Amino acid sequence: MKSREQEYREMFMAEALEYYDAMSRHISELERNPTDEPALNELFRFMHNLKSNSRAMGYNAIGELAHHMETIFGLIRSKEKSFTGSVVPVLFTGIDTIGEMIRAVGANEDLPEVGRLMDNLDRLVRGEEPVLEQEEEDDEDANRKLELSDLVYIQIRKLDHLMNLVGELIIDRDRVLTLSQEIGNPALVAAATHLSRIADELQYSVMDARLVGVGSLFSKFPRVVRDVAAAEKKDVELTMTGEDIQIDRNILQIITDSLLHLVRNAIGHGLETPAEREAAGKPAQSHLTLSAQTERDDVLIQVQDDGRGINVESVRRKAVERGLVAANVAATLDDDAVRAFLFEPGFSMAKEVTEISGRGVGLDVVKLAIDSLGGQLRVESVLGQGTTFTLVLPTSIAVKGALLFQLDQRNYAIPLMHTDSVVSLMPDNFNVVGGVLITRVQEENVPVVSLRKLLHNGDGPLPPAVKADVQGRQDIIIVKYNNRRLGLVVDRFLRQQDIVVKPMSKPLDTIDLFGGVTLLGSGQVCLVLDVPALTRLFLAKRP
Amino acid sequence: MPDSEKSVKQDPIIQLIVFRLGEEEYGIRIEQVKEVTITPEIARMPKTPPFVKGIANLRGDIIAIIDLEERFRLRTAGQEMPAVSYTMAIEAKEYTIGIMVREVPQPLSIQQSIIEKAPEFIQDINIHDKYIEGIAKIEDRIVVVLDMLKLLTPSEIMQLQPKTESSGSGSRTKA
Repeated sequence: MKSREQEYREMFMAEALEYYDAMSRHISELERNPTDEPALNELFRFMHNLKSNSRAMGYNAIGELAHHMETIFGLIRSKEKSFTGSVVPVLFTGIDTIGEMIRAVGANEDLPEVGRLMDNLDRLVRGEEPVLEQEEEDDEDANRKLELSDLVYIQIRKLDHLMNLVGELIIDRDRVLTLSQEIGNPALVAAATHLSRIADELQYSVMDARLVGVGSLFSKFPRVVRDVAAAEKKDVELTMTGEDIQIDRNILQIITDSLLHLVRNAIGHGLETPAEREAAGKPAQSHLTLSAQTERDDVLIQVQDDGRGINVESVRRKAVERGLVAANVAATLDDDAVRAFLFEPGFSMAKEVTEISGRGVGLDVVKLAIDSLGGQLRVESVLGQGTTFTLVLPTSIAVKGALLFQLDQRNYAIPLMHTDSVVSLMPDNFNVVGGVLITRVQEENVPVVSLRKLLHNGDGPLPPAVKADVQGRQDIIIVKYNNRRLGLVVDRFLRQQDIVVKPMSKPLDTIDLFGGVTLLGSGQVCLVLDVPALTRLFLAKRP
Repeated sequence: MPDSEKSVKQDPIIQLIVFRLGEEEYGIRIEQVKEVTITPEIARMPKTPPFVKGIANLRGDIIAIIDLEERFRLRTAGQEMPAVSYTMAIEAKEYTIGIMVREVPQPLSIQQSIIEKAPEFIQDINIHDKYIEGIAKIEDRIVVVLDMLKLLTPSEIMQLQPKTESSGSGSRTKA
């Protein structure tokens, strides 16, 4: 296992060499056509990126040179200078020198001396003539090496395609395994088992190729926190842990905005100003922690602040004001249930709209993003001590643990991420309260609904439940979403299985009740239920 | 598109795939048909209009299967879909969709010029005339040529209201 520094350095090297190649190409174009604006813009951009990357990695010499080069390209771009005369050889030398420096970093050698080059660049900026030495350039040309990077950059699209193909392969693998067992030919069984092992390994290799360190996202936050804290006049110290935790790149992509939102929220609303903190007897500097850790197959990402915490009573009041819950019901809800209202659409606790956060898009957007991944969003908070948001994310998008069950002779799957428990109950375990069937599971009253009725009842509200509906033993899957538990009556439990979820194809993707489909080993199509949508459907239709 | 082609080109031969819905024959341009197969096992999909029969696995692609006889109410009483039916996989703009038909669809080559604009009576049989490219008379047969791309837009298939009713959040009043 490589250390993170080493991995970062390899990535820096690959990227820097790529910049160098591109810059060499563009500067040649510019020589042919000194007014070639796209080439000039690209040069400027690459220099700028190289500068930032080098400084971030601590290669300040490269950063400094790139900064000087960038300045000159900027001057050329703004037409204050032109790419003619003595400017040309100096810039060529500059790019060649950058190449040498990058290679020296890669080979762990001392960086070349750049004093004279820097002087020349400074002279150019001041409008003076540079001091050129012809023979040195020839020397350099003779020593020029051609190198290929050890890293391959690959478009995520290609990896996505590979992942989809592997998904298909896994489905076919299950099919072949099932068939081979049915046919019972020993040679076929052996071949199918071998195929299965290779397919598994291929799947893990492709999944592994898509994994990136959470640090690649976390590393953007020191700057965000600094800027937001400055704008909000807060003093915030950011701590980050678990940057090495690996997660699918696309998952990281999808949660980027969510994490940004949570961090801005934490600084804008969660944390107090230094004066407020001192008044409350807390240290003036507030703490924000971004952490990642693995828990079984999931990745937990937490945004933790030591700010004022969530005032459950004001959330309760606001939920009633907004008509999300009746006042008498609200009074009976426990703190977790009340905090769940924070994730309702349009529910913002911000008293005033600030520059940074609270523009009306709230935690519901974060919640939806996490839901779309089949993940969970949790919040814990102690008034006066701080708030912790936890994102529970799958490591990989492609494979999910699921519970398979039957309804009307059809197979359905429900992701384990949202499955709380599975129970089989006799009719005397049920009560009807307000037209809703209720049962007690683990000391808690849980509403129960027939999945058949929920799915096939047309558009109207559900008819009130009556005790007579419940005949015989009931197989119930208890699902949990946003702290609400709901029991779904199904015909028969089948088994637990890892499934490859394919997104619902258009035009059926508008039906949000289904997170996708999967193909079973038998080749049968199996719908994958989306628990968040199912829960919303129940809430909208309950009698 | 078809209109502009007509005015520019002389009289090209076009190939149709012809199939029966109810008592009439309908045609689709062959380039819109990806393949024809025996209808695979269909998984019924809740919360879809009745003519959307469900989804099926077509060589690893999960596609929606629709029944146009039901969609346009062309089914004569007592003429249920036979146990073995056929499915034409049609390539619409962004997706592939299956259309269930009772008999094996047949190819047919005709001259473009014999496709005439649809007369008004067509509207009596519930097919909105915007789906109809025209009507071809071939000896004593009449083939209604459909423009599948118009027929198979997502809003047409799902008969969509802007947002599905399953999201409870939509019905809540927002402050």
